Amino acid sequence: MLARTFEEAGLSTVLVTVMPYWSERLGVPRTVGVEFPYGHPLGRPGDSDTQMGIVREALRLLEEATGPGEIRELDYVWRQDLDEAKKDWQPLEPSPIIRMMIEQRRAQRQQQEGR
Amino acid sequence: MTVDSFKFLPGSIAAYYRNLPVQREEPVPFTPLAKPLAECRFALVTTAAIHRVGMEPPFDTEREKREPFWGDPTFRRIPRDVRQEEIGACHLHTNNRDVLLDVNIALPVGRFRELEAEGVIGSLAPTSYSFMGYQMNTAEWRERYAPEAAALMKGEGVNAVFLTPF
Repeated sequence: MLARTFEEAGLSTVLVTVMPYWSERLGVPRTVGVEFPYGHPLGRPGDSDTQMGIVREALRLLEEATGPGEIRELDYVWRQDLDEAKKDWQPLEPSPIIRMMIEQRRAQRQQQEGR
Repeated sequence: MTVDSFKFLPGSIAAYYRNLPVQREEPVPFTPLAKPLAECRFALVTTAAIHRVGMEPPFDTEREKREPFWGDPTFRRIPRDVRQEEIGACHLHTNNRDVLLDVNIALPVGRFRELEAEGVIGSLAPTSYSFMGYQMNTAEWRERYAPEAAALMKGEGVNAVFLTPF
């Protein structure tokens, strides 16, 4: 959504995301999609080659796009056991909203069991 | 290959996202690149909730803990020559370990300085920007903070923006 506001202000934008799904649903001016876990749009720490490769693709899209909404998906592969990768990006403690949902569910269960 | 946006998400979060009632607003805004890349000045923007320790305050996570539907809509400024040890991170929805090891996975200031040296881009602007990505309501971004950041960018002669939602 930031990209849209910048674009309206006369700035050309390109966005690199692990969730191109949102670009499609919300309408983002220019998107590069990568299949990486959350919090890793440009890959792993210290992997300058991958970071630079993705940045160069984004610059190419910025140059070549002729209209809004283009999404280019790159074929980088995240090399990590999937179950491990699903956990690894998550915060060590549940976020406040998740914590609230867990507590609500627990309360509901206790209520049901109490009946 | 098609990127699976849900590959690394737990099933409950994936289902929640798929059912969110969002509306795509048309038309999607589009500003064609005004100049060749080699003459463009770039600003970088991430939603990784990073800040410069001791220079600007961290994002307000205490209020988010009290009000879980609220997320700090403000932004922080990160200079182009920021050093890794100056970076702090307080996103409550991701593990911040990797961005604290290498800011370039979110805000690739090092890579853009290299591209500037190579002459691929005109320049990296003095300032880049960090937001906090957990926003249930983006009205304040849209109405206040994104226009403020855009004005700061224009004040530094920026014409292209590279964004990484976190």
